[in-house]
Amino acid sequence: MKININKKEKYFIFILLLPWLLNLIVFWVYPLLYSIVLSFSDYSTLTNEIKFTGFKNYIKIFSDKAFYNSMINTLIFVVGTVPLTTAISMLLAVLLNSKSVKFKEFYKAAYFIPSVTSMVVVSILFSNLYSQAGYLNKICQMLSIPFPAKGFLQEPSTALFSIMAMDIWMAVGYYMVIFLAGLQAIPNDLYESAELNGASFFQKLFKITIPLLKNTFIFVIIINTIKSFQVFIEIFIMTKGGPLNSTNSLVYLVFQNAFEKTDMMGYASALGIIVFIIILIFSLVQMKLMKVK
Amino acid sequence: MMAPLAWMIVLSLKENPESFKNFFSLIFSEFTLSNYISAFDSNNFLIFFWNSLFVALVVTIGNILLCFLVGYALARKEFFAKKAVFFSIIGVMIIPQHLIMIPLYRLIVNLGWMNSYLSLIIPWLITPFGIFLVKQFIESIPEEIEKAAKIDGAGYWKVLFKIIFPLSKPILTVLAIYTFLNTWNSFLFPFLFSNEEGIRTLPVHLAFFIGKQSIDLGNLMAGSSISALPILIIFIFFQKNIIKGLTAGALKE
Repeated sequence: MKININKKEKYFIFILLLPWLLNLIVFWVYPLLYSIVLSFSDYSTLTNEIKFTGFKNYIKIFSDKAFYNSMINTLIFVVGTVPLTTAISMLLAVLLNSKSVKFKEFYKAAYFIPSVTSMVVVSILFSNLYSQAGYLNKICQMLSIPFPAKGFLQEPSTALFSIMAMDIWMAVGYYMVIFLAGLQAIPNDLYESAELNGASFFQKLFKITIPLLKNTFIFVIIINTIKSFQVFIEIFIMTKGGPLNSTNSLVYLVFQNAFEKTDMMGYASALGIIVFIIILIFSLVQMKLMKVK
Repeated sequence: MMAPLAWMIVLSLKENPESFKNFFSLIFSEFTLSNYISAFDSNNFLIFFWNSLFVALVVTIGNILLCFLVGYALARKEFFAKKAVFFSIIGVMIIPQHLIMIPLYRLIVNLGWMNSYLSLIIPWLITPFGIFLVKQFIESIPEEIEKAAKIDGAGYWKVLFKIIFPLSKPILTVLAIYTFLNTWNSFLFPFLFSNEEGIRTLPVHLAFFIGKQSIDLGNLMAGSSISALPILIIFIFFQKNIIKGLTAGALKE
């Protein structure tokens, strides 16, 4: 009797797990293994043949100028957006959390909405704002600030920074909400006793808020770094890596090799794996650095 | 903060917005719904809208049901290699999309799922994040409730759907909204898996639209506004749930 029940339960558990196991094997494990195999081979789209070539693709990447260019652009993107996004979103959260602010829910919603809007829509919108006859050029003209005449995205020196500014605008609301959740966990009497001792806004910020938000900081920085390393859609929509490859990112380079060039899928797979390893190393180093403190 | 989005809506309400000399003459010119009317007048736009809606709804229903099953098993049952299954969920969460982009594309081609709803739906019916969310929630439901039902003679499926499912409603709502948002906004894979017009979703359509030689700016902004609108409506009604879902990972850390 008991064995029978156990069998029944095992069967039940198996049914419960089946959707995940199928999804895992078909859409994750198999593609991942395929990707690794592909990265060590040359794949011809026409004949559908895979030829094993060892480390050739990997060696080629490290002598490819396009790789270093995309690497530098991506690093500029990460180093430029992550600290700014983190700082702005933290400050917004602190401001919104103070008792004196009215219409809190409204501000929260207003800051948050860009982060739930489709990246494609936001990219199209900003392409227009940044364009030759766009809103931004017109404002610069009115205030007589120098501006790129062809538009912000057509000038190699401004294109990447323009996309970074858009990304910061889009992301701060999301991280702000995460910081707000973290702030709610800080007991209020800490601030009250600090106020009794005459602490200023900045003293409270640096002595109480920031140290107590450590875990939130770690989470926000790591998640944002991982996301920023994968910057792709905005580049695909806004610049296609141009002008003069000044906005070409690592993931965009993977995409170009895989889908815009012929017979480069093996190379693209190797590149994809290298990008993944770079992201992993960055995240691990960040975790180490922040845990040591 | 809202200025760029407001600007998008203003542009979408003007006829030939690119023809205006400056900003003030544009703002004070007549508002019109003609861009929206012409968008919905073209049959294709309705098809893109329907594709987006259909795919997002089916994927959302799939996630509610399937993540619930797996999340329940992980929260309540003991089984062989449980740790490995849990590890696989965490592992998949950290795999970037670009890493499986090429093989998944090959797989979809080989399965003959190109330009088919199957490629837009089947791979996304269950997500590791959803499983994780449900698992964490079910672990917080007291086990005594289930035990009492079992003593009363309720079978496994009855306990699952008559007792645990209703109790999980708060987290399943969060999961549903989160999944709908993500699927509605999803771009990369729907873009890769569709090269025929009839199967495109709204974001994919917009990406093709801007690739055309001459763009009607008012039309483009109307299309963009329409694809942002459902998200805004959902956001207004479910703000609390959305924020809860998006920060759930952070809070559990």
